[in-house]
Amino acid sequence: MAGTSTTTPTAGVLESLSNDLAGAVDRAGQSVVAIHARRRIPASGIHWRPGIIVAAHHTIQRDEEITISLADGSTVAATLAGRDPTTDLAVLKVDEAKVPVASVAEPAGVRVGALVLALGRPGTAVTASLGVVSAVGGEWRTWHGGMIDQFVRLDISIYDGFSGGPLIDAGGRVLGVNTSGLSRGAALAIPVTTVNRVVDQLMTSGRVARGYLGLGMQAIRLPAALVERLSLPNDIGLMVVSAEPDGPGDRAGIIIGDILTAVGSTRVSDPAELLALLGADRIGKAVEAKIIRAGEPRSVTITVGERPQQTRGPRRGK
Amino acid sequence: MISEATLGVTVEPLGRELSDVAFALRQSTVEIRTRGTGVGSGIVWNRTGTIVTNAHVARSDRATIVLSDGRELAGIVTARDSRRDLAALTVDAGGDALPAAIIGHPTDLRTGEIVLALGNPLGITGALALGVVHAVEQRRGAPRWIRADIRLAPGNSGGPLADVRGRVVGVNTLIAYGLGVAVPVTTVLRFLADVSQGRRSAGYRAA
Repeated sequence: MAGTSTTTPTAGVLESLSNDLAGAVDRAGQSVVAIHARRRIPASGIHWRPGIIVAAHHTIQRDEEITISLADGSTVAATLAGRDPTTDLAVLKVDEAKVPVASVAEPAGVRVGALVLALGRPGTAVTASLGVVSAVGGEWRTWHGGMIDQFVRLDISIYDGFSGGPLIDAGGRVLGVNTSGLSRGAALAIPVTTVNRVVDQLMTSGRVARGYLGLGMQAIRLPAALVERLSLPNDIGLMVVSAEPDGPGDRAGIIIGDILTAVGSTRVSDPAELLALLGADRIGKAVEAKIIRAGEPRSVTITVGERPQQTRGPRRGK
Repeated sequence: MISEATLGVTVEPLGRELSDVAFALRQSTVEIRTRGTGVGSGIVWNRTGTIVTNAHVARSDRATIVLSDGRELAGIVTARDSRRDLAALTVDAGGDALPAAIIGHPTDLRTGEIVLALGNPLGITGALALGVVHAVEQRRGAPRWIRADIRLAPGNSGGPLADVRGRVVGVNTLIAYGLGVAVPVTTVLRFLADVSQGRRSAGYRAA
């Protein structure tokens, strides 16, 4: 018994898989950087295009005095090109980065069950965790109103440095940017298409403009009698629970307690539906909002403003 | 896209190889029972009866060692180093050669490579866990800790972390922020060398 146990088993497929995974980390890890823009543990980022680093917005907690450590051991100064809290992405610029840019996979190459690695660099060394793609869906809107082209949920453990690091396949190709900041701590990946679009916008204008009403809203169920009397198509409305002083809604005369039911000709019964109507093309334009105040329907004209830029990320998440 | 004939062609041998490695690794993994600290794991280090485990598993001077074939042997703690969290025990198997583990090379470990853990998590005997190397923390060019993205639980302590060939690269020691943390076998070798040379400066205490 003792004799048989001491022979090394031949590990053909298992060893190849292991070597492939380590090789993928080696290759893709070259473009993973550490970003020093918060206290304690550095955040991860990806050398996305020459001199352009992509990171997770929520991990970049200051806008100045940011440095970046590269895979070759060098440290360079970086400037923040812009951030888009709605997709949890931030873009930084560096003068010179003598490390390769990420090798990006074909979009739409993400499949449920695919073996994937999440890489990070929360310090000097690259880190890896293994998992699978657990769900893939169509485009979706984040709670901050950003549009993500594909829903990619991961079954993978989240450790320090997860957010802002790349999701890679077994060939070392980047499938997206990981974040735990978009879905109450769940591991999601922002697909390459979305990252490219946000990078383009941030590099051009330094921001991703979005329409803004300056109103906080909560979906509520309306009394059946009211629905019947006003002939509403459904019984859900958005109650205004906060109004930014001198914001677009406030200037139009919206007050707390008003119930929004439609914008223009589009019914709204979910804050996400309203966010979908507030694209950059609406900024400066007047929209007609249908509201219910004290049980009576009214129409209010609101001039859509631009969402103020958030300058720093919240202090949470990995 | 994929025909039925090719489905599973890679996965089936993968599963077989994994069971083979797990089987071999299980032979040289022992259960360590002590009064007070409950059940931990240990590694059969050589054929002549040296068992390596964590210092926090071997807290008392005597322990019961349960081999993979179910034999229960009396173990005596010969050295303990709480700084490295390592301990060595000897067992008398009545002249039988014990199924010693194959010792690997932590310096060759690559981030992302597959690693396996064998042990007795939460009292489940001979349980296997699979994961990948998360990072190898270096100190003065030598591996100091192996961090693995692997699911461990109390009872894995003192058991082997091995590469895909079943070569032991570390001693599973603690769980930190969900990561399995193992003491590299290079540290175990230094510990055992200190013990054999009777060096006390290394922090070990003859028990």
